[in-house]
Amino acid sequence: MNNHTRIALSRSFLFTAIVIYVPANIIPVMSITLPGQVENLTVLGGVEELYNSGLAPVAGVVFLASIVVPFLKICALAWLHALHGTDRHQAARMAVHGFLIKIGAWAMIDIFLLSVLTAVGQLGVLAGVLPREGALFFSALIVSTYFSAEVYKPSLIWQESPAHAQ
Amino acid sequence: MHAGSMIPTTPSGRPEWLVCSHCGATCRDRLLSPGEHLHCGRCHAHVKSTHNGGSFHPLWAFSSAGIISLILANTHPILHFEVAGKSQQNLVITGIEALWNDGYGIIAVQIFICTIAAPALYLSALWYLAASRTLGTHWPGTDLVARTAANLENLNLLPVFAVACMVSVVKLQTIGTVTWDSGALWIAIASLFTLLSMQAHKPESPDSNRGEMR
Repeated sequence: MNNHTRIALSRSFLFTAIVIYVPANIIPVMSITLPGQVENLTVLGGVEELYNSGLAPVAGVVFLASIVVPFLKICALAWLHALHGTDRHQAARMAVHGFLIKIGAWAMIDIFLLSVLTAVGQLGVLAGVLPREGALFFSALIVSTYFSAEVYKPSLIWQESPAHAQ
Repeated sequence: MHAGSMIPTTPSGRPEWLVCSHCGATCRDRLLSPGEHLHCGRCHAHVKSTHNGGSFHPLWAFSSAGIISLILANTHPILHFEVAGKSQQNLVITGIEALWNDGYGIIAVQIFICTIAAPALYLSALWYLAASRTLGTHWPGTDLVARTAANLENLNLLPVFAVACMVSVVKLQTIGTVTWDSGALWIAIASLFTLLSMQAHKPESPDSNRGEMR
């Protein structure tokens, strides 16, 4: 894959992530059935529920992983693409790219949570957890930001600058 | 030792160069003393290292323990959930099957790759590399296996799954009675050995990174 294809692909994935960020956060990702009630939960709704249950630290972890991390990834990727081809802040851009790769995995926590809850909550009318359409958007958001960062190789940051051979 | 003898050369007598896999800069290769690392002058990424005779033993031990605990994590139930006298247990694969059966195959595949396939392949790749180096034999395809391990490192999300299990227990406690099963312990152990394997694994420069400055 040549560099132009990499940049175009990375921008396409970033654009996709920007478009689906809002639906991923407002469409319910799961519904929890308890006797007498069915509750549809969005990503943010799940965080609120944990917080209201008195589990603020856990709510904080899920909020950071599911809301903040994808948002940070989108902002950082947009910044990398905005400065692409210039020689500004190259070392900082390398650091940000490395940070993106490291934190990106944590956004998967909500998808894993859905997997565990769906597996356990299959007791019919007593308790049930079912995935909802929002999970597809959220999953697509994670995949888009992951591939946008992965396809944009760090060497592209130095592409337009003179070679610095050691 | 004479300085000139410290620089590896190609058959044509020119010095060998290594390409930094992170930023693409070329770095002049040189012979390293045991345990020494060569870093890229531009982005400071690790480019090459040498290992003394025993340095692959920890990686071999950690990856072996990781593979065994990963097998146990996938064959033992993680949680026991009980509501009004009805109970249920689940394995890692149970959630994947449930999502698949509910028509969310794409998410099921994503979870399967990140929690089962990638950790298994990653630990197996590290085990193969460590065994090959520790036994002092050059097993076939080690460069390919090393590249595979590097590519799989970011897809291996077992530690994140372990945290998700903890969060799910907290959430399920608001609905019914939840107790940990032995599989959860094995997931935690497998996550620990995965992280230790990552720490112990210092990629060597594959032959594909070598080049000749013209």
